[in-house]
Amino acid sequence: MTDKKSNDLEDLGNLPGFKRGNPTYFENEVIDHLISITLELGAELWVVKDRLAHVEEILSEENKLSLSSLNTGKPSALLQEQLDKERKQIIKRIYGRLYSKYGGESAEEKSAI
Amino acid sequence: MAINKAIYKRGKTAGVFPSLSSRRDEAYMNFVEDARNLLLHAQQKPIGEYSKLLLKNAGKSMEPDPRSTTEAKELLMKDNVLKTYYRIKRTLQESFWECTYDSLNMRKNDLLQALDDAEKIGPGSVTYDPDFSIPEYATAEIHIQPGGNANEPLSGLLYDYGSKVFMGGAADNDMFADMQASTVGAPQDGKVNRILDLGCSAGVTSSALKRIYPDAEVWGIDVSSHMVRYAHARALEQNHDINFKQMLAEELDFNDNHFDIVVANLLFHEVPVSVSKKILSETLRVLRPGGSFTLIDFPGDKTRDVYTIFFGEMDAADNGEPFLPGFVRSNVEEIMEESGFEMSPYDPNKFLLAGRIGFKPNN
Ligand SMILES: C[S@@+](CC[C@H](N)C(=O)[O-])C[C@H]1O[C@@H](n2cnc3c(N)ncnc32)[C@H](O)[C@@H]1O
Repeated sequence: MTDKKSNDLEDLGNLPGFKRGNPTYFENEVIDHLISITLELGAELWVVKDRLAHVEEILSEENKLSLSSLNTGKPSALLQEQLDKERKQIIKRIYGRLYSKYGGESAEEKSAI
Repeated sequence: MAINKAIYKRGKTAGVFPSLSSRRDEAYMNFVEDARNLLLHAQQKPIGEYSKLLLKNAGKSMEPDPRSTTEAKELLMKDNVLKTYYRIKRTLQESFWECTYDSLNMRKNDLLQALDDAEKIGPGSVTYDPDFSIPEYATAEIHIQPGGNANEPLSGLLYDYGSKVFMGGAADNDMFADMQASTVGAPQDGKVNRILDLGCSAGVTSSALKRIYPDAEVWGIDVSSHMVRYAHARALEQNHDINFKQMLAEELDFNDNHFDIVVANLLFHEVPVSVSKKILSETLRVLRPGGSFTLIDFPGDKTRDVYTIFFGEMDAADNGEPFLPGFVRSNVEEIMEESGFEMSPYDPNKFLLAGRIGFKPNN
């Protein structure tokens, strides 16, 4: 009984995620790509915003900029806090509408556990 | 400590894991983490309600039998909002690994050197065999982690960092593992001299067990040499005396009746059901009469509704878990009983905070 049941998994092959390479969830794979592209652009835009804020903080305080402090340093705790807040707002504002059909754009932040 | 030398001075995020190699990577990862929390975790409940409504409006059954599950999957996978959710999930998982992998690889030589250095010192020990033959099922890229557990020299670090991010902070400072370890069954006579942790990965559970039983001899085994190497370095930093060894859980290199407690935390859903059965009989063999076995893993499908099964199977697929659906369908507590364990009551609603606990009969 247990064996029969556990081996009977052919139906799982139809789940997109089990396909190796680039799985597609939409009939038109361009939609899959477009969603991935917008997320990637969002992440890269965030990297630039984070760096610019860091540059501004250093320049306004020290008047001197070194590449190594940008690559391996950290912004102040206060700036980090502002950045954390802004990042969440941006994600909600840009992507939340994808879930507006069931009101998900206003769902409160939650971690995995 | 040797490993600290290889760590780029930005503090640590989990275990001995150094933070990522540059501010750029940290900022990228902050975005991925927040996007996971806002676009996936926060949606889980409302999107579940939405999905159940779709099933109800289409007159579908919520019974967890195979036919209803297949029908539910067909219906739900036609919905564009759900497709979007799962697409986002997969994309974020891929970007997460790409960034972590590239960032760690910038310091690969230093990190591997630190693991080599750690091997030479105690407390505790690590043993592995460069010619170990890895079964094919154990080479799967579970969690779509690059190279999988067994074939990537940095897999221990990748896994540790992955747990931190996927658990949304609950894994920090071994908090979750400590909670899990406190639910592990003890033999009725209370004697605990030797403990075995099966499929130990980064050794997080092995360490949590050592904190509960500081005088016991603790062993952690894993099929991957890269995992046990990292586990040793991680335990070393916590100053825990634990022995890690590369070994298959289905072919244990220990004498009969040797251990008082055996634990398997999230191992069983990563092996085929046929292997699970062998692990259970090996576990019975190495446990002493009256010894306890705690198997912590996902609940079986008998206790779930159709939507939860659908969600779990989609998650397994998107997360590269080829054996998880089979595990869930096997309702492993029944196989434990068939294998000869005397079972304690099991509460699936406690999810990963309650194991299936079985004892080796006294006669
Ligand atoms: C999800 S991880 C376990 C997590 C770990 N127990 C903890 O509590 O943090 C599963 C581990 O099992 C290992 N594994 C898979 N098959 C195995 C086998 N047959 N014998 C031993 N280890 C195995 C993998 O290499 C992987 O490190």
